[in-house]
Amino acid sequence: MIRALLLAGLLLCASLAQAFDLEQLSAQLAKPALLRGPFIQEKHLRALPQPLTSKGLFVLSAEHGLLWQLRSPLHLDYRIDANGIARRTKQGWQQQAGQDSAGQQSRLFLAVLKGDHAGLARDFELHLGGSADAWQLSLTPRSLLLKQIFSVIQIQGGALVERIELQEAQGDSTLLRLPDSQTGNSLSEQERNDFAD
Amino acid sequence: MPIERYLPRLFGVLLLALLALTAWQWRNGPPLATSLLSLLPHGAGDQLVQRAEQRMQEPLNREVLLLIGHPQREQAIELVRQVAEDWRTTQRFERLQWRLDADLSALRQQLRSSRLDLLPAAARAQLIEQPEAFIQQRAAQLFDAFAGYSLLPLEQDWLGIGARAQQTLNPQQRIQADLGSGALLLQDQGMTWTLLRARTRDGAFDLQAPAEIAAAVHRARDTVGAQGGQLLAASGMLYAAAGQATAAREISWIGGGALLATLLLLLLAYRRARVLVSLLPVGVALLAGSSACVLLFGQVNIMTLVLGTSLIGVALDFAQHYLSKSWGQSNWHSWSALRATLPGLSLSLATNLIGYLALAFTPFPALTQVAVFSAAGLIAAYLCAVCLLPAWLSGLRLSPAPALLGGSQRLLAWRAALLAKTGSGPLLGLLALFCVGGLLQLHSQNDLRQWLGQQPQLLAEAQQIAELTGQQPTSQFFLVRAADPQQLLQRQAALSARLDQVVASDQLRSYRSLNQLLAPASQRLALREALQALPQHWQPLLAAGIPEAALRAELEQLLDTPPTNLEQALAGPFGEGWRPLWLGRSDSGVAGLISLQGPADMPSLRAAAEGLDGVQLVDRLGELNGLFAATQLSAAELKLTSCVAILLLLSLPFGLRGALRVVCLPLLAALTALACLGWLGQPLTLFSLFGLLLITAIGVDYTILMRENIGGPAVSLLGTLLAALTSWLSFGLLLVSQTPVIANFGLAVSLGLFFCFLLAPWASPATRRGTTQNTDQTTVWDELSRPMANPSTYGCPPRAAPRLDKDCQ
Repeated sequence: MIRALLLAGLLLCASLAQAFDLEQLSAQLAKPALLRGPFIQEKHLRALPQPLTSKGLFVLSAEHGLLWQLRSPLHLDYRIDANGIARRTKQGWQQQAGQDSAGQQSRLFLAVLKGDHAGLARDFELHLGGSADAWQLSLTPRSLLLKQIFSVIQIQGGALVERIELQEAQGDSTLLRLPDSQTGNSLSEQERNDFAD
Repeated sequence: MPIERYLPRLFGVLLLALLALTAWQWRNGPPLATSLLSLLPHGAGDQLVQRAEQRMQEPLNREVLLLIGHPQREQAIELVRQVAEDWRTTQRFERLQWRLDADLSALRQQLRSSRLDLLPAAARAQLIEQPEAFIQQRAAQLFDAFAGYSLLPLEQDWLGIGARAQQTLNPQQRIQADLGSGALLLQDQGMTWTLLRARTRDGAFDLQAPAEIAAAVHRARDTVGAQGGQLLAASGMLYAAAGQATAAREISWIGGGALLATLLLLLLAYRRARVLVSLLPVGVALLAGSSACVLLFGQVNIMTLVLGTSLIGVALDFAQHYLSKSWGQSNWHSWSALRATLPGLSLSLATNLIGYLALAFTPFPALTQVAVFSAAGLIAAYLCAVCLLPAWLSGLRLSPAPALLGGSQRLLAWRAALLAKTGSGPLLGLLALFCVGGLLQLHSQNDLRQWLGQQPQLLAEAQQIAELTGQQPTSQFFLVRAADPQQLLQRQAALSARLDQVVASDQLRSYRSLNQLLAPASQRLALREALQALPQHWQPLLAAGIPEAALRAELEQLLDTPPTNLEQALAGPFGEGWRPLWLGRSDSGVAGLISLQGPADMPSLRAAAEGLDGVQLVDRLGELNGLFAATQLSAAELKLTSCVAILLLLSLPFGLRGALRVVCLPLLAALTALACLGWLGQPLTLFSLFGLLLITAIGVDYTILMRENIGGPAVSLLGTLLAALTSWLSFGLLLVSQTPVIANFGLAVSLGLFFCFLLAPWASPATRRGTTQNTDQTTVWDELSRPMANPSTYGCPPRAAPRLDKDCQ
């Protein structure tokens, strides 16, 4: 859930607009039709000296959706599209929708993808600072329920989103870095197949 | 005569007393009950069963479930917010729940302390049988960006037992809480539905609540519809509201229509406005009936009032008895006409009372109430017609429409001509054939659903809600008794195992049992053993970077925690959904329920309970339907008994042969009506049977009128016709009721009345000689009536039938 919200935050920037440059930021982030690159996720737990770290690759297509390929320490593939979340199994993609709150987050996700941000603006207080080259956006939950889950989401970037940090209400935090995202023009054959079936 | 002065005054005192009593009974508003179901017999079960039934009925009577749908998710949430806000201001609801505003810390607390015990069956089985799969799944979850939100932080739940136990909270996964607004959401084919669950302050049996709840639903529907949304509602309250509205409409239409038509009929027949005071007994009857019911039962049910409107026709009959005699003579006088007809009136009252009171001996509160209402009403109407009306009609010179008498005479002439050709025998044979043919096609049908009017829209919406949410509460449930909570869980688990198969074979949608919340101790013991072997399988978690010490510490903590008991599990927030299933402790042990979500296949459920100790399938609907059918038999017996009683009573004035004739004709009419139901393809229900039971009593009234023959056959036939018409106007109008049982009752009685009228002339003493002109017969009745019907005041000898007109001129 938390990670999904991180990703929601990533896409949120692409569609939300406010006084300063939220409008511009939104346009700026919405420009690329295709984005791909590595991700590094660090889970900082109070009980552990070292964060739980995982790495992988992502492909974000404005048209098709998101491929999330975890490569280390486990090999797991996820896909988020209009149908919800699917996980790759030996038998092919398996739809995860309807299994606890995960399905709902995928919809949240796609709502953001489509620029339908009215609901998010109601649930979060948004604050944008910095310039177009180096900006920070913070999302503070408004609802009692969300406040019991996390305290704040921080998003930073320049031309593209680079860093998303989520502070959990219970003290742990998750950091997602997208250090080397590249814009692209077309999907590879493999990616096209992944989105197809 | 002094008696003629005292009687009206005496009755006036009685009437004032009745008015005072009614005013006192109504001092706190109308003592009306609206629940049709409260008229059903109480369950045969013991106290525990009845408590369980109440527990299961409660939500049906108090809860309103709304689904508000919109293609846009945010809009759906906004709409439910608006509706909830509006409803909050109405003060009608004691609880409104449209969003999850759960206190997560309480949930976390219970999960921390009892997660092992709260683990759902599937996860428990996996942990015992495939521990490595369980661990692998957990490892994947640690890095899964899209895993659901876990209530416990990772460091308190390394093994992921809490994350799995948390699924117990939402066993049917279709409804999800929106984390932003907390709204309860359901996705289906491009629509987002939001859920609003409301609990009303007053139950469905309250007089005002259902209508106000229905209005609130209507308002919500308008709000939602205006903004492009869709609203589905399900609640027992809505059925109650529709039932009340129907009943109120029908009382005014049927009662009003009957009264108006009767009024016209009387004006047409007697051509004197003053005759309309003969409507007074109707008012007195209704007043006395309802006040007797309130006196005996505390309240009068709205259904009793609907059926009671049929009393109008019967209450009018008393006055008809002597008013119709005005055709027989020109100098009609109220008191002397009354004296001539008083024995007949009294016999009518007695036979009617026997008929109605027979209803009181059935185990159905509904019919007992109708019986009391009618008996009290009849006595009041009789007293009014005998004591008061003649005084008010005194001095009235009646000149009734002569055409009616002519018509009546022509009818009798046709009948005589017909009989001269064929004789009664062949006609009886034909009728017998008709009856046999009809009876062969008759089918009996008893279903509680006939009590509720047809509300196709409510049904369709409830069905749609059931399909969307998977929630379709059935009235059947299992009651499980045991010595202690442990044994209760054991027994429920045994039953659950069988119910799983019933669900798998699509004979049941789902069920909810206590062992879903907390497994029996034996199963939890196996889990603890499996847990001790877990270190052999947790390599994937170590590989993910979790220190072994942390895992060991958690395992130890899990194994050291004392097992949760059922009452603890129910007390926490996780137990909320299961609390209604727990009936608690009593001297004989403990008891719990298993609730079912329909549609349920009864034989499969019965088979599932077979041979299990302490398990009882409670099926109120089936029990009632069975009771309906069984009561039909006893109703038939009652009918015969009431006939014997009437026969005995009538053999006093008429002799056995005469009484037989007077009693058998209405029986034959009832039989013919029964056959008609068969020919028409209409079912015989308990209510139509009771309708026919009444017919024998009312029909005897007509045959007495014909047999008594005061004023001659034509005058008597006309009196019978008027009485039958007024009765039919009220009973016949019940035909149009939207409540199937009442309509069915109306149909049976209408048919019965028609045949009663048709057959009544055979009761006339003259017809025994095959001619209407015979005046030489003397019967016991004549002996009895002669001193009362003083020929000198009455003007003519009682049985000088058709020649009467001439004699008197």
